[in-house]
Amino acid sequence: MLSESPIWRIKYLPKTLNEICGRNDIKERLKDLINDRNFPHLLFVGSKGIGKTTIADLFSKEFLGRFYDANSKLVYANVPLTNEETKQARSEAYVSTNKIGSLAGKKNTTPAFIRVKIKPFVQLKVLGDVPFKILIVKEFDSLGSNQQAFRRLMEIYGTNCRMILITTKVSKIIDPIMSRCQVFLISQIDFQSFEELISTIAEKEALKIDKETIRALYEITTGKLSNAIDLLQICSISGNDIDVDKLYENFSNSKNDMIKSLLIMCFKGDFRKARELSRKIQSSYKFTSQEMFQIMLNELAKLPFSTYSRIKLINLLAEADFRAIDGRDTDIQISNLLAKICQFSEVL
Amino acid sequence: MVAQNTEKMPWVEKYRPRFTKDMAFPTAKVGRQKVDLIEDLKKFVISFFKEKQKLNDVNRKIRTYNRTHEEKDYQEEKTLPLDKAAVLLEGPPGIGKTTIAYALANDLNMDIIETNASDTRTKGALESKLRETTKSRGIMDFIVQSKKKLILIDEIDGLYGVTDRGAVPTILSLIENTQFPIIMCSNDYKQNLQSLYNKIKKYEVNPLPDEEVLKITRKIIFKEKISGISEKELNLIIEKNEGDLRGVINDLQGISQGSLNKNTKELILNLNRDSTEEIFSLIKNLFQNVNTLKEARNLTNKSDVDYNFLYKWINENLTSYIRLNSEIVNAYENLSLADEIFGRIRKNQYWSLLPYFYDLFAGGVVLSRKHRPPDESFHRIMFPRFTSTGFFSLSVIERVVVEKIQKKYKVSEIEAVQDFIPFLKLLSGTSRKQLKELSDWFEFDANEKKLLK
Repeated sequence: MLSESPIWRIKYLPKTLNEICGRNDIKERLKDLINDRNFPHLLFVGSKGIGKTTIADLFSKEFLGRFYDANSKLVYANVPLTNEETKQARSEAYVSTNKIGSLAGKKNTTPAFIRVKIKPFVQLKVLGDVPFKILIVKEFDSLGSNQQAFRRLMEIYGTNCRMILITTKVSKIIDPIMSRCQVFLISQIDFQSFEELISTIAEKEALKIDKETIRALYEITTGKLSNAIDLLQICSISGNDIDVDKLYENFSNSKNDMIKSLLIMCFKGDFRKARELSRKIQSSYKFTSQEMFQIMLNELAKLPFSTYSRIKLINLLAEADFRAIDGRDTDIQISNLLAKICQFSEVL
Repeated sequence: MVAQNTEKMPWVEKYRPRFTKDMAFPTAKVGRQKVDLIEDLKKFVISFFKEKQKLNDVNRKIRTYNRTHEEKDYQEEKTLPLDKAAVLLEGPPGIGKTTIAYALANDLNMDIIETNASDTRTKGALESKLRETTKSRGIMDFIVQSKKKLILIDEIDGLYGVTDRGAVPTILSLIENTQFPIIMCSNDYKQNLQSLYNKIKKYEVNPLPDEEVLKITRKIIFKEKISGISEKELNLIIEKNEGDLRGVINDLQGISQGSLNKNTKELILNLNRDSTEEIFSLIKNLFQNVNTLKEARNLTNKSDVDYNFLYKWINENLTSYIRLNSEIVNAYENLSLADEIFGRIRKNQYWSLLPYFYDLFAGGVVLSRKHRPPDESFHRIMFPRFTSTGFFSLSVIERVVVEKIQKKYKVSEIEAVQDFIPFLKLLSGTSRKQLKELSDWFEFDANEKKLLK
C-alpha cells in the first residue's frame, strides 16, 4: 500500500492539533480543555470548507488518546437514512406486547434518525480510561425539528457522552441548543498562516511560487485551504513554476461553471440540449432544486445584462424556486425555468 | 318481482341467474388447490346447520347443568370454529360472487340477509341489523316456521376506517355467535381485514373464461333479438372486460339499446378500449389525436394508468411532440403548475384541487400547441428514465466509490459528490499515471475507475 496519498489535500492534512496552521487562540482553548480532562458540549460555527471537522476530529483524537476509535463517532446529519436503517427503525418503532416492561405495546416516538444513529452510541458506556465519549454531529442545522430531540439527549446522556456540533448556519440552530453549548467561532484563516503553509508545501513538492502568487491564491479560493491545495496540485502537473496566470487558467469551480454553461445554452435558445445538460448536472452533483437555483442566481449576477433583463430573469428564477418548494418533481420545475429563459432570450 | 316490468330493468338484473344450475360456473381456489365452488359452498351450508344442531344440543345441556350448579362449577358454552361458520369469496368484480350467494339461497330454499357497502357498517349499525338474527331466533320464529337464513356480507373490503369503525371486531364476534351461515365477498386483499383472513376459509374466485362469457352473451343477444353487433365488436367487449360478466352485459345494453346512434356506439367501443390500452398509445393519443379539452379529459379519466406516473411520462415525451419554444413554455407553465398543485394535494390533502391537476397536466400540456392539424409523424415514446425525487441519493457504484473515499478521508457524501469527486476527475483527467496512482490509493477497481473518467 502506498504510504503517502497522491492527493495533496489528504497528504498535508494536519495529524495533531499543533499542526493546524494559524488559529492560535482556538488551539490554546482546546488544549486547556484537554488538560482539564473535561469540557462542555461544543458548537463549532464557521463557513464551508474551513476546517471545522478537522479541528473537531483532531481535538477528540487527542482528548481520547488511544481509546479514540472505541469512544468517538462522526455523524452526518444531512445524510438520509439508508434503506436498511429505515427498515431497522421501522422494526424498532413498536415494542411488542409479548415483551416485558413498561414499554410493552407502546410506540416509540423518537425520530428515526435519532433512534438509529445517535441513541445507540450515546447510551453505550465509556470504554477504557477516559471520562466520556465524544459524538461529532456534522451539518447540525440540517436536522431541523429533530434538534428538539437533542435537547433532552444532551442532558440525559451528557455525563456519558459529550457532543461536538458542527454547523455552517448558526442562525438555524435553536436557542435551547445554543444555551447548552460552548460556542467556537472558527474564522477564515489569516493570510500569514496561509502563506506559511503554502510555502512549506511548495518546498516539499519543489514548487516555485512567490508571495504575490500566494496572495492571488488566497483571494481566488477565499482562504479555503482544501481548495487552495487542490488548485496547487492541478497547476503543478504542467510544471513546477507557478504564477498568477496559471492559477486563473486552472481555476475552475466546476459546479458553478456547469451551471453557467447551462444558462448560456438557454440564452442560445436550445431547450432540448439545455434540458439534457441540466439532467446531467442534477445526476452528477445530486443537487436539490434549491441548490441549483441558488447557484443560478449567483451566476446570473455575473453575466452581462441590462438591469431590466436581469430583474426579469430573477423574477423567473424566483417563481420557479417558489413552485419547487411545493412541487414533487424537480425536473419539471427546472425544465419550466429553462423553457422560460429560452423564450426570454428570443425577446432579447 | 320477476314478472313486473322486465323491459325497464337493467339486463344485469334481468338475466341474473336464480339457481346455481343456471350459472356460468366460476372456478375457485383454496390456497393452491382447485375446488368446485358451488359444491363446496353447498356442503358448507348444509354441514353448518348439522353442526349447529349438535352444538345447540350440547349447549342446552350445559345450560341446564349451569342452572343447577354453583357459579364456580359453570361450564362454558361451546362455539363453532370460525372457519365452519363463515367463508370469504375473493375475486375481481362482476364474476358472480354475490350471485352465487343468492342462487345458493334459492337452491336451498333460504332467505338472504344482505349488508353491503351502501350501508354504514359501524358496530352499532351492524349489530342492530344482524345480531337479532344471529344470536337467537326471533319470537316470531316459534310461531311461524320460518325459512332458514343465509347472511351475506358483501363488499367487505369497502369497510372504511372512520365511518365503519369497529366493524371488523363486530363481524368476528358475529361469526362466533351466528345461528346462520355467513358468506362474505371482497375484491382485494385489505390489510385491516388481516385478522379476519387468518380465521376463516378463503376462496379465490377466478374470472370467467372468455368462452363462458361468450356463451352467455350469445344467449342474451338471442333473447333480446339484438342485431348489428358484429362478431368483432363482441370479442372486443369481452376482451376488454377481462372476465367481468357484469361489465360485458352492461356494455352490451349500452351499445344495443335503440336510442343510440352509430356514432355513440363507436364512442362507447373506443373509449372503453382505451382504458386497457397501454400507456404508449395513451401518450400517443394525447399528443396526436386530442383537439379539445373534453377529449383530453376523457382519455385521462378512462385510463387505468396511475396519474402519479402519467404526468412524468408527459414530461418525458413533451419535447418530442412540441417543438416550438413558445409552445414549450406554455406547456411547461401548465405542467409545473400541475406538479405544484399535486405536491400541495399530497402534502395538505387538498383533494378538491385534483380536477385542476388533471386538466393542467393533460389538456393544458397537449393543447398548448397552436398549429393544427397535429403532427402525425412517428415519435418514439420515451420511458421517464430521469427521476428526480428531490432527495439526495447515490447510485450503487457512486456509493461504493464514496465509501472507499471515506475510508481514507473524512468527507461527507454530499461534499464528496459535489466537491471532491469533481476534483478527482479533473486530476485523473490530466494523465493516465495520475489515474493509476489515484485508483491505487483508493483501491478502486476497473468499474469504479470509469466514474472518474
